[in-house]
Amino acid sequence: MTARFTKFGFDEKERFMLFLIAPAAIVLACFEIIPILIGMNASFREWSLVNPQRTWVGPKQYIAVFTDPVFLKMVLPNTFVLTIVSVGVSLALGLALASLLNRPFFGRAVVRTIILLPLTIAPVITATMMRWSFNDQFGVITIFLSYLGLPDVAWLSDRWPSFALIIITDIWIWTPWFTIILLAAMQGLPPEPFEAARIDAATPWCIFRRVTLPMLRPVIIVCVLIRAIDAFRTFDQVWILTGGGPARSTEVFSVYAYVLAFVDLDIGRAAAAAGIGALIMLFVGVGLYRLVNRSMEVS
Amino acid sequence: MISFALHTLRRSIFAISIAAIFVVFVGPIAILGVTSIRPASGVFYIWRGTNFTLNNFVEVLHQSQVVQAMWNSFVLSTLATILSLSITIGSGYMLSRFGGWIQRSWFATIYIFRTVPYISWVLPLYLVNTRLGIYDTYVGLLLPHIAVHVCFFSWLMKGFFDGINPSMEYAALIDGCTRWGAFCRVALPAAMPGIAALAILCWLSTWNEFLFALILSGKRTPLITSTMAQFVTETGTEWNLMSATAVLAMMPALLVTIFGQKYVIRGLRM
Amino acid sequence: MGLENKLARALLVGGGFCAVCSSTSQAETALSVCYINHPVQVANVAILEKWAANQGVKLNKTVTSYTVYLPKITQMLTSGANDQCDIIWNNDDWGQDLAQYLEPLDDVPNARKVEVGQLEPFHTADGNTTAVSMTTTAGILFYRADLISEAELPRTWDDLVKISQTLQSEKKVKWGYVGGMSYTNTFFSFWWTLWNNSCDVYAPAYERDNKKLAANGWKPMIYSPCQVQTAEFWWDALNSKKISPPGMTTYSRDEANAIFQAGDAAFTVADTTFLGTFNNAERSSVAGKVGIAPFPVGPMSNGVHTWIDVWGWSIPRTLPNDRKTAAKRLLGAMLGDSDGQIEQWNQTGGPPPNTDVWRTLEKNDATWRRLHTILFKPDHVHAAYYFRNWATVHKVYSDTLIRAMKGKREDITATLKAGSDAIHAGATAND
Repeated sequence: MTARFTKFGFDEKERFMLFLIAPAAIVLACFEIIPILIGMNASFREWSLVNPQRTWVGPKQYIAVFTDPVFLKMVLPNTFVLTIVSVGVSLALGLALASLLNRPFFGRAVVRTIILLPLTIAPVITATMMRWSFNDQFGVITIFLSYLGLPDVAWLSDRWPSFALIIITDIWIWTPWFTIILLAAMQGLPPEPFEAARIDAATPWCIFRRVTLPMLRPVIIVCVLIRAIDAFRTFDQVWILTGGGPARSTEVFSVYAYVLAFVDLDIGRAAAAAGIGALIMLFVGVGLYRLVNRSMEVS
Repeated sequence: MISFALHTLRRSIFAISIAAIFVVFVGPIAILGVTSIRPASGVFYIWRGTNFTLNNFVEVLHQSQVVQAMWNSFVLSTLATILSLSITIGSGYMLSRFGGWIQRSWFATIYIFRTVPYISWVLPLYLVNTRLGIYDTYVGLLLPHIAVHVCFFSWLMKGFFDGINPSMEYAALIDGCTRWGAFCRVALPAAMPGIAALAILCWLSTWNEFLFALILSGKRTPLITSTMAQFVTETGTEWNLMSATAVLAMMPALLVTIFGQKYVIRGLRM
Repeated sequence: MGLENKLARALLVGGGFCAVCSSTSQAETALSVCYINHPVQVANVAILEKWAANQGVKLNKTVTSYTVYLPKITQMLTSGANDQCDIIWNNDDWGQDLAQYLEPLDDVPNARKVEVGQLEPFHTADGNTTAVSMTTTAGILFYRADLISEAELPRTWDDLVKISQTLQSEKKVKWGYVGGMSYTNTFFSFWWTLWNNSCDVYAPAYERDNKKLAANGWKPMIYSPCQVQTAEFWWDALNSKKISPPGMTTYSRDEANAIFQAGDAAFTVADTTFLGTFNNAERSSVAGKVGIAPFPVGPMSNGVHTWIDVWGWSIPRTLPNDRKTAAKRLLGAMLGDSDGQIEQWNQTGGPPPNTDVWRTLEKNDATWRRLHTILFKPDHVHAAYYFRNWATVHKVYSDTLIRAMKGKREDITATLKAGSDAIHAGATAND
């Protein structure tokens, strides 16, 4: 038994495993884990960027965030709505577009390139462009919509229209991401089940429901999880489009943390808010994983 | 007759959806393109007036900082892509092929740190960089940009290796290959298309990354996104120059996408 | 023999080269100036550059994005780093916060040549100034001179509404007044009316001495009648009298300027530095038709109030002495350069930092005389309060007012009252 262990206490296989992750682990530790730990340390302190005192105050900052009515009644619900709607709709659109692109037709390569266009622009630019395009006075899209005879909407100045705009922008940016990954996965599926279904004269919808979807399950789970985590911390689009307004009604969790850190220069409170967000996402992520897994097994 | 009608219906639905895709995905890009060739006086009311100009591009390209930033971003994106892929291949392979406490705790670490929002580590990261004396250097930009990708890529790499049948590697091990040999000679080539696909996504996301660029780049290391942010000034946004720069910045990204597309489609299966 | 010779010669040449290197690097001081891409700052840096060349100083320019300027500079100063910036842009909003990390600049020639009360926000506890002026920033009312004659200019808010509605009904402009209203643009809508209605954020109005404000209990004026009137004026402007576009609550300077420059609005309030932009035919379709005027006042006003605040240059305390001296010399040269400062005024509309130069302009510049009468003759108010959490309070104030704008008119008082506690708490949090 002891012969299997070297002087380091690891056997040959374990050393190989550690060796494989070593470079990634070192970079992760230095440039992600250590900064985050510094941040977490700050979250237990009275730590202003100006004149930093760094007095230890225990969980005071966490309590302050958790008892802030804006955080509970606006920020958290907004963040969840944004995450759920954005991920859900982009997933659905991504599946639809991927199915469309999965069969050959004339000009498919062009359409595929077009769908990837949103990935080539920085989200900051996209959001700025959306902001100008939906302006109530000079926005090209607003004017186009009223030319079509649709009623005028105060896209940026009312709560729900501006929140819808944030979500639309997010969906526009991320649908290509889903499309490309799902398309790749669809092209990798084995052809046999589809042939069998065709022999049974199943409708295309039926084939999609009963054959394609179940086979795509693992990919969908990973995509949804990764995107949900990212959507939960969406910042650029919200900050540029509405700044969290009108009157904080579209504020999401990372805007909340940003305002604490960059407007109030209150590093302690900002770190606590960020920490709470990370914790929520941790649990939501695990729950989501189970949920997606189960719902897909049922269908 | 019915089948003919059905056929026509299906054809027209197809045509409509292609048209919709075109409008939705090209529309905003077209707006950006038109903005970039409007003079400063017509940059917000782009639908009023018909004067167009290429001066925005001339002006932007005359700013040495923009050209330098493009080059910096290009080098950074390329290096970050190569390095983040090479360090996460091993990590993903380990997650896929092995079990036990090391694998489980590494996966947990990756998952946990993926959930932490950028806001909470970008300011401390600035502190770490100044402390290590690498603030405003290429190394100081590169390493955090690699760290950003570690979690996400390890996870996806695991997916690639999960999709490859491990029996070939076992066969190689039995044939006397070392673990290292089995990894390099058997598993790695099989995962190559997926890795190529990830490379493109990595390149694009580094090229377009904003918050880190803003905080971590200084006078010596301008990046394209942080340079674009400088068109947002106290007196308002120089939207004509900003959109011209954005259009210029789109070109390399577009080239990478077009040429890389084949690999993205073929490679990204999990 | 030959080899030794070559080696010796190489060493000699190399050594000589090194000596040259080190002597030049000693002779030439390099200074870094950190600022944002604002026309006035760019113009002032041009003056610094001119004098740097003259003094044998190498001046490196670091333009930082406005969004991260404050966090980056604050972190640089608090960590004591001295390798990034030697001269930094300083704003009265945060001058108090940073004073302890900055070098006193009273020994810079002409440092005190500013309007009364303007350098106080940059003072240390001992009353030394930590900044020298680069310009004065102030808001002013711009109007369409081709539509409104000087005799007809609005003197009260009611005038403003009437003139706007007339011009709108005659289809001469789409909107009467347009200005920034979103957070950080509060000055260009809510605040100029507030200060011209005998009102302020804390009572007593226009007081900025923290001791006096504390003695009065940092009493918010947010639901006092003068503030409610202001809110009602803007609610009407947006919702019932419709002299301003309905989306204005979200406007920053971008949107407001775009609409004014397109000729779609008769009035706007913006920094004086926009005089140049609005009258620039390449940027604005109303070039040559823009005039400046005093603020119209509210029903409770006891006279026009303008806000004027200095933007300054500062030097980090942790710099080595040689760079401190060089930086001070450079700033002194800029303050003494009256031609350069007049050039800055002509290019950007940013008043010269040194008030001695104002006398020259008074004699031979009609635009300056107009601006000076409008801005500097009336009573002044500082556009910020000088305590740690002012930015937080500013945001709470902005959110509260915008909430009132989006609600019903009869709910305005209640909405404003709901913001009162947070505004009070913001000022007293660090006591």
